[in-house]
Amino acid sequence: MTRTPSHLCLAILVQVLLLAGAIDAADDSPAALSAVDTAFFEKKIRPVLVKHCYACHSTRAAKSKKLRGGLNLDSRSGVRSGGDSGPALVAGKPDQSLLLESLQYKSLEMPPKGRLPAAIIADFGEWIRRGAPDPRRGRTTTRKAIDIKSGRQFWSYQPLPKMRVPPAGPSRATSAIDAFLLARLDEAGIDQAVEAPRAVLARRLYFDLLGLPPTPDQLDTFLQDHRQDAYQRLVDRLLASPRFGERWGRHWLDVVRFAESITLRGFLFPEAWRYRDYVIETFNADRPFDRFVREQIAGDLLTDSTVEQRRRNLVATTFLTMGNNNLEDQDKGKLRMDVVDEQLETIIRGFLAQTIGCARCHDHKFDPIPTRDYYALAGILRSTKTLNHANVSKWIEMPLPLTPDLEVSFKEHETAVASLQAQVKSLKPASGKLAPLPLKKVAGLAIDDLQAKLTGSWMRSTYSKSYVGTGYQHDQGATKGSNTATFRPEQPLDGEYEVRFAYTPGSNRSPAVPVRVIVGNTEKTTTINQKQRPAIDGRFVTLGRFRITPDSRPSVFVSNRNTTGVVIIDAVQFLPVTLADKQPVAGPSTSPKSPRKLQQLQKELAALKKRALPRPRHMGVQEEKTIENARIHIRGNVHSLGDAVPRGFLQVAEFGPRSTFSNQQSGRRELGEWIANERNPLTARVLANRLWHWLFGTGLVRTTDNFGTTGERPSHPELLDHLALRLIERNWSIKSLLREMVLTRTYRLSSRPDQRRATIDPENRLLWRMNRRRLDAESLLDAILMINGRLRTEIGGSTIRAGTPNDYNYRHDGDRRAVYWPVLRNSLPEIFEVFDFANPSMVVGRRDSSSSAPQALLMMNNPWVIQQSEHAADSLLNQRQLDDRRRLEQLVRATLGRPPSPHERRVMLSFLGSGSRNEKTRRLRWTQVVQALFSSVDFRYLH
Amino acid sequence: MTCPLPNRRQALKMSACGFGNLALAGLLGDRAGAAVSNPLSARQTHVPARAKRVIFLFMQGGPSQVDSFDHKPILDRRDGETLAFDDARVIANTGKLGSSQLLKKPLWNFRRYGDCGRWVSDLFPEVGRHADKLCMVHSMHTEGVAHGPATLFLHCGSTNFVRPSMGAWINYGLGNESNNLPGFVSIAPSPGNGGARNYGSAFLPPVYQGTTIGSAGRPAAGSTIRDLVNSRYTPAQQRSQFELLRALNAGQLDRNPGDAELEAVVNSFELAWRMQNHAPEVLDLSRETAATQDLYGINRKTTNDFGRQCLMARQLCEAGVRYVQVTYGDGSPNPAWDQHTNLPKHAEHAQRVDRPIAGLLQDLQQRGLLEDTIVWWGAEFGRTPYAQNKGTGRDHNPDGFTVWLAGGGVKPGFAYGATDEFGHKAVEKKVHMHDLHASILYLLGIDHERLTYRYSGREFRLTDIRGEVVHGLFS
Repeated sequence: MTRTPSHLCLAILVQVLLLAGAIDAADDSPAALSAVDTAFFEKKIRPVLVKHCYACHSTRAAKSKKLRGGLNLDSRSGVRSGGDSGPALVAGKPDQSLLLESLQYKSLEMPPKGRLPAAIIADFGEWIRRGAPDPRRGRTTTRKAIDIKSGRQFWSYQPLPKMRVPPAGPSRATSAIDAFLLARLDEAGIDQAVEAPRAVLARRLYFDLLGLPPTPDQLDTFLQDHRQDAYQRLVDRLLASPRFGERWGRHWLDVVRFAESITLRGFLFPEAWRYRDYVIETFNADRPFDRFVREQIAGDLLTDSTVEQRRRNLVATTFLTMGNNNLEDQDKGKLRMDVVDEQLETIIRGFLAQTIGCARCHDHKFDPIPTRDYYALAGILRSTKTLNHANVSKWIEMPLPLTPDLEVSFKEHETAVASLQAQVKSLKPASGKLAPLPLKKVAGLAIDDLQAKLTGSWMRSTYSKSYVGTGYQHDQGATKGSNTATFRPEQPLDGEYEVRFAYTPGSNRSPAVPVRVIVGNTEKTTTINQKQRPAIDGRFVTLGRFRITPDSRPSVFVSNRNTTGVVIIDAVQFLPVTLADKQPVAGPSTSPKSPRKLQQLQKELAALKKRALPRPRHMGVQEEKTIENARIHIRGNVHSLGDAVPRGFLQVAEFGPRSTFSNQQSGRRELGEWIANERNPLTARVLANRLWHWLFGTGLVRTTDNFGTTGERPSHPELLDHLALRLIERNWSIKSLLREMVLTRTYRLSSRPDQRRATIDPENRLLWRMNRRRLDAESLLDAILMINGRLRTEIGGSTIRAGTPNDYNYRHDGDRRAVYWPVLRNSLPEIFEVFDFANPSMVVGRRDSSSSAPQALLMMNNPWVIQQSEHAADSLLNQRQLDDRRRLEQLVRATLGRPPSPHERRVMLSFLGSGSRNEKTRRLRWTQVVQALFSSVDFRYLH
Repeated sequence: MTCPLPNRRQALKMSACGFGNLALAGLLGDRAGAAVSNPLSARQTHVPARAKRVIFLFMQGGPSQVDSFDHKPILDRRDGETLAFDDARVIANTGKLGSSQLLKKPLWNFRRYGDCGRWVSDLFPEVGRHADKLCMVHSMHTEGVAHGPATLFLHCGSTNFVRPSMGAWINYGLGNESNNLPGFVSIAPSPGNGGARNYGSAFLPPVYQGTTIGSAGRPAAGSTIRDLVNSRYTPAQQRSQFELLRALNAGQLDRNPGDAELEAVVNSFELAWRMQNHAPEVLDLSRETAATQDLYGINRKTTNDFGRQCLMARQLCEAGVRYVQVTYGDGSPNPAWDQHTNLPKHAEHAQRVDRPIAGLLQDLQQRGLLEDTIVWWGAEFGRTPYAQNKGTGRDHNPDGFTVWLAGGGVKPGFAYGATDEFGHKAVEKKVHMHDLHASILYLLGIDHERLTYRYSGREFRLTDIRGEVVHGLFS
């Protein structure tokens, strides 16, 4: 598995550079070569290069756009200057030459079609050792290093100006934001649309700020409020609602690929919900965004004044741990780097909208991000521990600090448990870790599991070390009824024997395994609890004493029929009773001193443990034991290391003096400071643009996660700067900036299309109208629950059903808001899947917004949708004081935020029919009407 | 994609006969100035297409090549010898080469089949009879020693990074031929080892993700596309409700004239309605003759499930679906074919799939579908020719294994490449999983280097920067 993670951009972008002329020509003249050297090269080296390498590594390959890895092997200088991975060889030093390594399939595997014969590889070694004499001449290509300084000229890397003055021209502007927008519209010669009707505006504002529709009463209150500042007051009321954080926190959860399980094996993250709640709370409390940045990246390293704050800071670092990593990757070095890569991608894309992944293998081909920068950042995260590695590696959960009074009660409880445990231990036979016991050390006659006759699927293991012989076998807790094992002595026995059975105990074991001893016509079955430690020496249990004659053909038979849990077979011992009375297996007796007392204490202990909740824990990271700089991974290969790079940030976005890093800490704290700093040219711009996108449906920079050269340019660069500056001025308050945005006239415009304006600006980039937006999955679900009156508005908490073993085929239900439905990577709620919920494995600043047949099928046929419609119908029908007309009025106002049109009223009333129908039919018809309204475009869109 | 985008009017027209999606501003946001287009409309191919569709029979867990299609008589002769092998797991865990391993002979006899005289073991006697249709690739190798990574690599071309699945790429690249069905269907996918990622669209727009039917380890009978059927209303009740919805939407469109996006939603209901009325028929196995059902082993205990799934795959292909995957697996972390111990259990799995696969090949040929359908049989990796821990089974082997292709443009009765003398590592004409992906795309008319999608500032491909089309496989 030595193939490197690699990137498509490489091959293509080399061509781009060729076209762009970003290539220096290098001429290199070889010194005169001896005849021997020339002959060696011509005979042994050149033919191989021509035959196996030139197709991808020559000037000709470059011309036909087939050059790979930026490497030319058809000239002396090309070989020496090398490609993306550095020089192909170091003359005289075969062991430092990438070319040789590649031929040996040590780092790269070249040629990829198959390894060359050993003799040829040896020739290359010899050639390099001789100093790689090479008679070839010719020009070749070496790439220019990235120029950070000129890279800084790009708009997004330029420092924020001190201020941006709104254009004076549009005097009708009611706010600075409007002034920026109107100036551009004036230039284009387009006037703005009219303002949206107030009812439309109210529905828009409720969904945008809270993710919920206004109730008919709320709508009426607003429509009847004719005061000058009615709209402002509504805005302030909504911003203060606890529903606000549930809506806006969810936007942030898209960015940080929030999830509560991992795809492979469906492992659940039982503590991830704490992070979700932390985010919601942060948005509700409007805690400054710069603080939010620092907490998520380095909360564990911050100093805190209160326990609450400490808890928050720790939970915030769950941010770093939710990557959808491949915990079972057997190459742990690669896994460790993959985790770092995932974290970098999330941090750098999430906060700075930069694409950095390319630089893992080679300098970024478009953006001024060299490989060094990648590894400078990687050093910080490599000095941070995110997983404990094992066959299947695991994320880290740690206890959370408690308030002093809680701490006291937990301590008391723990002391009581510890004291009981000590008593139990004193009564228990000396356990200690048992080492494997070789068969020959077992007294009497021993039969190992390997000598038993087996049927069915047994799995061999040596994991629990108390086994006898070479190991033990288990049924994986599966294939019940098909596994058996029969142990038979190979030689005839004569006399009285104690028969014993060995197994390795464990908590996943079967509590009742029937083991049958058959001696002649006698049969005796003993049921063994394999969860318990075997009584004899921690290895064996007795199956009884038997009189055995040479012709009684004794055997011990085990079956996993009707068992639960894992069934173990290890060994069987036939021990002459004379020996059994003296020496149990291979050592002194260790049976419990006082079995009844022990049992009682164990019971008490279990009860005590059950009584108290476990200490609250969180998913988090730790500092690594060794803090160190990362070494460049050549071509991203973890097994091919180059120079170490001092820890640092993206040079192109740096400001002020370079940070210094202590060798006591990873540097995450500094990383958080650098990102959260108001002088960072990207952070505030990226956030202001995200907020704009979430509110207006389209960012000023439409590629919300890419502010690099391959992203789009801002439609209104000055406005974006203005918003970023406002954010910083208002102490990074998200609510303040949103408030300014929704108070603009532009936000309040009608969303109606208009042919005349559309011919000039078909995509509405200049915002001559408000964008019409589709309700997303959560708004849809929440609105349906709200309209039928079942929505429960409690905040937070763990919501994965207790006892759920993994995330496969999880059944979602409940009346909580969608933000609290578990985000399980293998089992998203169906409504999330079809309505373009953010992929919870990647940074998503911008969701898709499709209209597809699966969505329509869900709205038409999904049992949940029909059931919710029925609930709504029931609650309408239960309002006995209303007639159908009034019911309809109420329903339409709740779903569409307006009264029914005459047409709608007519078709729905006619569908409902006259009042004479029976109850059942009426209920059905009402259910269908509700469902049809949920499917209608005016419900599914914000106009 | 370099395919030209249709203009808005064309798009709206096409959407009326596509699966029913109009991707809107969100989807096309990166393409400045792009008008509304149907992301699933059929597209021009890069190179002439030899095949129109793929049926991938995924043998989850990794069947042993040396017990099935890669005949190595030396294993019989040297059974029980201890030799040094470069074991992939040992290398990944410790970096150690040359660990000592116990050679283990195949548990099934091999015999020659067909005019081509290819060797097939007694695990697959029925498939063996179709040897003259098969193009075996003995020199496969891939990445990932554990199921999770290797399964993701098989489906998405990456062991760890979140990438679109092959079916999603093809759906994106070729669009859909069917009016009433999705372009990519995954039958009985396993929730384990990558789960939804194996048919997901990652950063491609969600419309390209696979539609699932059923789930691994569950009975095949009765499984269908989600929400395709309404279980609450009678057809008459639903029709009248649909008329009500039409009337409501028509009125609301009138109030908001000239908005293509709203029209698209209305269209999506029309399409769903058609799908609901036609797709169940497509998926109805009972309309097949008893002889056809018998061909697939339906209604026989061992072959009923996989037989139904294979027949459903044929029906979907006939109806125009581009990419159908049928998974033979289960939901466990050690999936079906994963015989670390107890290799004889391979026989159980083979008995369940052998007849259905043979039936599928025969049925496709009888209907003339085989010539433009690629049938691909294979797994995430193969198994070692030596016993695992010197025990009763074989461990994973990503370094050498066999897949076979049949139909659409591949050489019939042919074998390509070879493993070493023991069947351990691919040595001759090696075909990497990226190469296989590239080759299958090529048969479908797609140049794998040009099937790209811009995400996060760069172009992505199924084959990353690798993959060579293996022209030697093509007829």
